[in-house]
Amino acid sequence: MPQTQPVIDQIQASQQSITDILNKIETVVLGKPKECRLALACLLAQGHLLIEDLPGMGKTTLAHVLATTLGLSYQRTQFTNDLLPADVVGFSIFDKETNRFELHKGPIFNQVVLADEINRASPKTQSALLEAMAEQQVSIDGITHELPTPFFVIATQNPLFHAGTYPLPESQLDRFMMRLSLGFPDLKAEKQILLNMSQRTNQTSQNVELDNEAMIEQEELIAIQDAVTQVKVSNDVLDYVIALSHVSRRAYSGQANVANMTWDNAPEINCKPLSPRASKALLQAAKAMAFIDNRDYVLPDDVQAVFYVVCQHRLEMQPNQKIGSNQSDSASVANQILNCVDVLNPFGYS
Amino acid sequence: MSFFKRKATQPSSGYLGKGKNRSKINFSLSRKNAWLLWLCQCLNIAVIALELSTWMLAIISLSLVWQALLLHQNRDRVKAKNTIKSGTQADHRPNTHLHKQLATNVAPVLLGMFALLGCLAIAITAKEVGILTSMLHLLCFSYVLKAFELKARSDFYQLLLLGLFVLASSLIFRQDLAFTLITFILLVINLAVLLQLFSMEKAFATNIKVVVLLLGQSTLLAIVLFLVFPRLSPFWQVPRAKSAETGLSDTVKPGDIANLTRSTKLAFRVDFGQQKVPAYSQLYWRAMVLEDYDGKQWSRQKATRTTLSNKATGSDKSSNDKPLTFDASTTDVLPLNYHVIVEPSFQKYLFALTPAIIAGDKSGINPQTGFTFSSTRIISQAKSYQLTSYLTAPLALELSKKSKQVNLRFPEGSNPRLEQFALQLRHNYADVEARAKAVLTFINKEKYAYTLQPPMLDNNSLDQFFFDTQSGFCAHYASAFTFLMRASGVPARMVIGYLGGEYNGENEQQSDSQGHLSIYQYDAHAWSEIWVTGKGWLRIDPTSAVDPQRVNSGWSSELLQQQSALNNDLISLYKFKNSAFLNAIRLQLDALDYQWTRWVIGFTTKQQYNLFKNLFGKMASWKLALIIGVSLIISMATLMLCLHLLNRTKHTQKVLSKWQVVYQKALAQLAKQGMDKPAGMTVNDFAKQVREQSPELAIAFTRLSASYNSLCYQTLSIDEQDKLVLTMQHHYRQFLHILKKQS
Repeated sequence: MPQTQPVIDQIQASQQSITDILNKIETVVLGKPKECRLALACLLAQGHLLIEDLPGMGKTTLAHVLATTLGLSYQRTQFTNDLLPADVVGFSIFDKETNRFELHKGPIFNQVVLADEINRASPKTQSALLEAMAEQQVSIDGITHELPTPFFVIATQNPLFHAGTYPLPESQLDRFMMRLSLGFPDLKAEKQILLNMSQRTNQTSQNVELDNEAMIEQEELIAIQDAVTQVKVSNDVLDYVIALSHVSRRAYSGQANVANMTWDNAPEINCKPLSPRASKALLQAAKAMAFIDNRDYVLPDDVQAVFYVVCQHRLEMQPNQKIGSNQSDSASVANQILNCVDVLNPFGYS
Repeated sequence: MSFFKRKATQPSSGYLGKGKNRSKINFSLSRKNAWLLWLCQCLNIAVIALELSTWMLAIISLSLVWQALLLHQNRDRVKAKNTIKSGTQADHRPNTHLHKQLATNVAPVLLGMFALLGCLAIAITAKEVGILTSMLHLLCFSYVLKAFELKARSDFYQLLLLGLFVLASSLIFRQDLAFTLITFILLVINLAVLLQLFSMEKAFATNIKVVVLLLGQSTLLAIVLFLVFPRLSPFWQVPRAKSAETGLSDTVKPGDIANLTRSTKLAFRVDFGQQKVPAYSQLYWRAMVLEDYDGKQWSRQKATRTTLSNKATGSDKSSNDKPLTFDASTTDVLPLNYHVIVEPSFQKYLFALTPAIIAGDKSGINPQTGFTFSSTRIISQAKSYQLTSYLTAPLALELSKKSKQVNLRFPEGSNPRLEQFALQLRHNYADVEARAKAVLTFINKEKYAYTLQPPMLDNNSLDQFFFDTQSGFCAHYASAFTFLMRASGVPARMVIGYLGGEYNGENEQQSDSQGHLSIYQYDAHAWSEIWVTGKGWLRIDPTSAVDPQRVNSGWSSELLQQQSALNNDLISLYKFKNSAFLNAIRLQLDALDYQWTRWVIGFTTKQQYNLFKNLFGKMASWKLALIIGVSLIISMATLMLCLHLLNRTKHTQKVLSKWQVVYQKALAQLAKQGMDKPAGMTVNDFAKQVREQSPELAIAFTRLSASYNSLCYQTLSIDEQDKLVLTMQHHYRQFLHILKKQS
């Protein structure tokens, strides 16, 4: 019992701040409550976030508001095709006065790194982020530097058919816990956006309202992140998560190592297999969703809620070339997988 | 089987973050468990408390109180530290450390000193109390002390094991049904406490259920072993324990039996089988004959003396042999066969209606002088034997010179007034029997009283009793009477034993009734015998002259009242006998206990052998043992194999838990209504869908779904699960109700 107590306590303690944060984000990113929740869940689960959409859909706005409301130091880096790794990570320069090499830290030494239009940079630069995202450390001239905690990379990218884009390598994609796309706002929301803009008379940039104070202390954020890892996961949910990833692997390795599964009869799904890292990310994200929902245990609903954003970018065979990707449409692979696993009986024992 | 099921459906060890803490087993007791352990100790000690010496009991209870104080103190300390801690950062790691302090640990030096002193005391008193009791002291002492040094898991094991030993050793002293049941309940509690150490999250009641289930499952094996396992006659013998001895002692001072008459403990039981039970006044259960009187107390004639004389002269043997065994061929009196089961008395004497011969198995029983019998071993557990009595046959028509001498001897001048009176009698009544009758009429006419609370006598003087106080009970009257007879020149002796007994059965007058006679300690009695030429030893009971009811039908209510006043018992015999209902219950329990004693306790090697002989026919015992052993091993192996196979098939099949079954039933009901749940849809989403499609069902089904979600995914404790399953079933019934209404 002593281990479970802090989770509930933490949930109760931070309930207010979480609703505050969500309200704040939703006033900035209008009409997208679901995406806002997912984005917050990703950060509470200590995952990196990739926002993919057309230009002008509010990607950068979402990234900004996330960083500011969480009260973290952040720096925005615009990725271009001539951006070098050193521009992101930092470099050593010889100081004549002290006769020593001194480190000039790059933008990555912030708690939140906004990598804007990440797929415009060359693959070399993109992979400079790899170590930072996976290990939370960077190596410059053979010296390893720890990055601050909490550390997030929030990247935005344009859909791949756009001119001058390099597709992110799979290894890089796998390190993003979630890939969100905002999609077009509905009529009401767009009207509100326009109204807001016209109300602001003497403001030069829409980012002014992002300069608001943080909604949460850093200690609290770390405590919440700790609590999220301790959210209870029952055996059934574990089975469900494992079953989901196993289904995705069926086409790849032909493995159906658990007999008598209901999804053995389902049509084969044409997708990339989910890695154990993906399963981990799925579970962690589901925990964060449960936490935001004020629960200290995970439901299959949580897993389903995050499954698309966590797994879609790991499952896709071809680059997604649809404009403003709509979930019901292009989520076919993820949806197929969700549909063929029985929630009540994941492994389909009869 | 349901136990296994339970285990399978138990929520998995739960959340993932716990793994790190799990690997490092840091043994600690929660407050509740520490108290449970303490309580368990108290109970175990309580069971055996009666057999311990007072000083040991005092030490033990002091230690227990000390432990309780330590536990109490520790709780305060933990509380204090918790309040300090809660002010700072919430870090729950030191918590386990705090738990550790809950154990009642004491500095080892102090403990060692205490233990040494205790052992010394036990060693010193060993001679006085006997080996058995001192060993028991050692066991209980170590049991209590062990609780002061609980550091590792093994210490707890030792403590609990010692507890089980204490429990088992209490069975040495009492084996009746009620006590066995109590011991069994305590065994369950002990095991549940052990289980509690492993699964602290579960409620104690759940653990008890598990233990009862497990024990229930093991009963079958226990029964088989009970029937089959060879009853090796113990390599050891239960050593003599003075404190454990119950019943008559082999010396009687007037006043001794009074202590016995306060006890309502069972002495022995008799089963007359199909025969009619003799009248109450015929039931003189002879235990010992006391022939030596030294002016203060009656005692048995030294056994060594008789055996010496036995061996000394061969020619004298025939005359000495005669009183030893009764010769059945010389009488034409109808024989009376019966079966006696003696409760453990830790003494050797047995009971018989004289004159009797041993029917059936003769091993373990020795006929003694004076038509009594004794066991070859101390009776430490229920012993049964069969006798045939010839109630009205005369005893010892011839009396050897030696025994005549012995039975006329009395210390002259010890009771001058009685001697005077005896001489007077001798003068007045030449006939021996008339003389005895005269004494009885004297007692009857004078103001003699039968009471359990006689006034104290100086120096056990019979004179004082007979002429001054004139109130006493059987031992007083028998002593005085025997003394009078001896002083007047009639060979007389004192006999002690039991009188009467309580019949437990349908109707004692019917000849074919099934029932038995229970003789309790308060039935203890003393009477006299005088030797008359041509008639042998005649039984004269002077008590009959003062209180005929005692002799003819048992205790008068006045005496019972006296007895209950003496005992201060809440549930006294007197109250029992006054209420017909309670008495009926008491008799029922007694009958149950009799069956227990007869069939379970009395299942000895002999019975075992007979059972097998009946089953398999006669064969050599080693062959029998071989057959039994081999068949046991084979049957156990097949049983194991079956269980193994059964479990393996279960592994591949997922066992549905209760809530899953209920939810699936609900789904099936909905499917009939045309609402199918897609496989990939979660419970909540489906509940939403149902809400849209049929709003009437919404509330009940949403509640059902919520309970299902909690049960499935919330990793509850088993207790909470049980509660929630009940509410879920309740919701399901509501759901069905609404469905029915709809259709």
